[in-house]
Amino acid sequence: MQQTSNSFRVALIGNPNTGKSSLFNALTGLRQRVGNYSGVTVEKKTGQWELNSEHSVELIDLPGTYSLSAKSIDERIAVDVLSGHMPGLPAPDLVIVVVDVENLQRNLFLASQAAELEVPMVIALNCWDVAERKGLKIDCKLLEQRLGVPVVPTVANRRKGADELNTVVLKALRERPQMIRPSWPEPVGQSLKLLRRELVEIRGEALKDGELLRLLFDKNSAVGDRLNTAGAEVGRIVQSARDHLHRGGYNPDAAESLLRFRFLNPLLLDIIQRQASLKTRSRSESIDQILLHRFWGLGVFVGMMYVVFQSVYTWAGPFMQLLEGFTGWLQGLAANALASTPTLQSLVVDGIIGGVGSFVVFLPQILILFLFIALLEESGYMARAAFLMDKLFQWCGLNGKSFVPLLSSYACAIPGIMATRTISDPKARMITILIAPLMSCSARLPVYLLLIGAFVEPLYGPAVAGAVLFAMHFVGAALAAPLAWLLNRTLNKGRAPRPFIMELPPYRVPHVKSLLWRMYESGKDFVVRAGTVIFAMTVVIWALLYFPRPLKIPLQVARVQGAEIIAIADNEAAETDIVQALEQQIDAAYLEQSYMGRFGKFVQPVFAPAGYDWKITVGVLASFPAREVIISTLGITYALGGEVDEASTDLRESFHKAKWESGPRMGEPVFNLAVALSIMVFFALCMQCGATVAVIAKELNWGWALTSFCGLTSIAWLAAVVVYQITIRLI
Amino acid sequence: MMKLSQIKKDGTFRVTRVNADNECVACLMSLGLLPGQEIRLTHEAPLGDPIAVTFEGCHMSLRLSDAAEVEVEAI
Repeated sequence: MQQTSNSFRVALIGNPNTGKSSLFNALTGLRQRVGNYSGVTVEKKTGQWELNSEHSVELIDLPGTYSLSAKSIDERIAVDVLSGHMPGLPAPDLVIVVVDVENLQRNLFLASQAAELEVPMVIALNCWDVAERKGLKIDCKLLEQRLGVPVVPTVANRRKGADELNTVVLKALRERPQMIRPSWPEPVGQSLKLLRRELVEIRGEALKDGELLRLLFDKNSAVGDRLNTAGAEVGRIVQSARDHLHRGGYNPDAAESLLRFRFLNPLLLDIIQRQASLKTRSRSESIDQILLHRFWGLGVFVGMMYVVFQSVYTWAGPFMQLLEGFTGWLQGLAANALASTPTLQSLVVDGIIGGVGSFVVFLPQILILFLFIALLEESGYMARAAFLMDKLFQWCGLNGKSFVPLLSSYACAIPGIMATRTISDPKARMITILIAPLMSCSARLPVYLLLIGAFVEPLYGPAVAGAVLFAMHFVGAALAAPLAWLLNRTLNKGRAPRPFIMELPPYRVPHVKSLLWRMYESGKDFVVRAGTVIFAMTVVIWALLYFPRPLKIPLQVARVQGAEIIAIADNEAAETDIVQALEQQIDAAYLEQSYMGRFGKFVQPVFAPAGYDWKITVGVLASFPAREVIISTLGITYALGGEVDEASTDLRESFHKAKWESGPRMGEPVFNLAVALSIMVFFALCMQCGATVAVIAKELNWGWALTSFCGLTSIAWLAAVVVYQITIRLI
Repeated sequence: MMKLSQIKKDGTFRVTRVNADNECVACLMSLGLLPGQEIRLTHEAPLGDPIAVTFEGCHMSLRLSDAAEVEVEAI
């Protein structure tokens, strides 16, 4: 019999660190899709799993969770999917519970909770190889008999047991085996009946007994959120059921764990040869003696973080240069090919190729960081890093897991923000994402170097210059800390802090295949979902800088400045130099006349308190898609061409020569120390990076992306004004 | 009788009372941290908080404020 591909749905659940994702990848391979569950930002992974040549099922990878106590959004999604209440996703025909052999008892707690939702079940005993190596013996046949569902040993990351799983699942889809459920004591039964009567019979809510149990046992269960009945009324009904349970002698918060373990423990008698006793140290524990040591542990941690940081900051450099070189080469090719049509040439060269180049250039950093993150996570070290750093973050509502993303943001906020996926608490993750752009990324460095080289070093010497550079790297972080505190106070207002308990999983040797897979996934994700937006933004900004391009400009420039240029260059300069000088003047005039140039002049008064003239304002505006653009934009406005870099002496000279062209300070020099500091502070705080905005939009939503963009721009403006006004009075 | 937040590295302890009102503790209970369970402190973070404990094959990190909601006795 031939089954169409979507006829059966199978869900995969399991505790974190059980190898559930490896199993999912092993079963589905490349045939998977990533999306979101409707209305929430929890990742939804589905894939096609070929059971044999004729049958294929849709496999749904549910978020890893220790229990179905529907308190967090992840757990509620697991409950909703298993009970068939996720919009557009009918209840699965089967659930595979991935169980870590070494922690059978607590893993079966989750299986037992899932069984209440009446979904047929198969249990995959994963990490069979580790257990065997440790001399752990498990009687699968006896376990099968006692639980009433098939039990299959697997080694997910080596695809062992996959064939057997295929056969068992195929059979289970026909026979629909259900795991044995506890017979609840009287008070639980009565409370359940009370809930069923009030919610199902009277108010017509579609709730299975399993879901009623969740409402009964979990304080503030998320299941209540999706009912039609008003929240207050649900709360009242649930409270009366819980009161009933309490009167029956069971604390509703503790009852489930007590009763379920009391039910599970006898089922596990004689199944396992007892695990190593508490007193003997495992290999993982011996490693932890060093890695979690107060002194050595910190040393190793600093060393590892140094390597991670260096890899993103420095080692990605050659690859990025290679990509930039390639982009430049393509631009050169296109420029020659399209030389006869200047508008098309500029669109293709600066708009399209430049636009693609502007996000492809981040790929090396993303891939390298995600290689390290995969290494840290799969080896089990990530949890240790969070353990060591947690105290530093507690006071502002974050936890230790924010450290690696924030550190990476010092190299580049884009991989840093993507790395926040390792933070399980959604609010902590959101705050980390929002403060990540304040970490001074490597793209700010050229701006600092240019301005420090032009205004600080000549006046105060290299020591002060170094100190200023150092300070610029901390301005953002210094602001990020109180901002995180404030965000925590407002976002988490009235809510108890999310519990921060974290498993320190046994150390494992990561598998090359899954490391490569994580790199591929992150890279693909970035290119597909953020790349398109970044590309569109670059093209729009290109158009604003290019058009309207009035025809009369070259003539005007030639008329006004032509004689002057020729006079200066008369004796020594060759013809080509004169032509180049003229072209640079024409480009400067085009930029001044472009929509962006006009807009810059229009909003210059806004930036006047920070000491900026219209040229700096245009530079600042043009660099909103990518902050490093300011240098080439300033190069064009000062008629030096767009090829200048931060070491350019011509550009520094132009800064010193620049004078106000109009207004109250006409004739005075534009640049001084105060302006330089004000620009640097503005760049340190402002989110002038289209790619970051796009990535925030993807990881949170557009609302937050725009809020943080506007928020950071205002903060940056304010700080720039304060710095300018103070410094100008001091010098 | 002492709190889990006060125990020292040497020695094994037995859980006597848990405060299920605390969300963290409730979470640990579903992992098997119930009265009668043996528990041992394995590590303290360099800044003193959080701590790592091991029980029933679990190695978990928790903060001192939550550990104070679990009572233990030495065995």
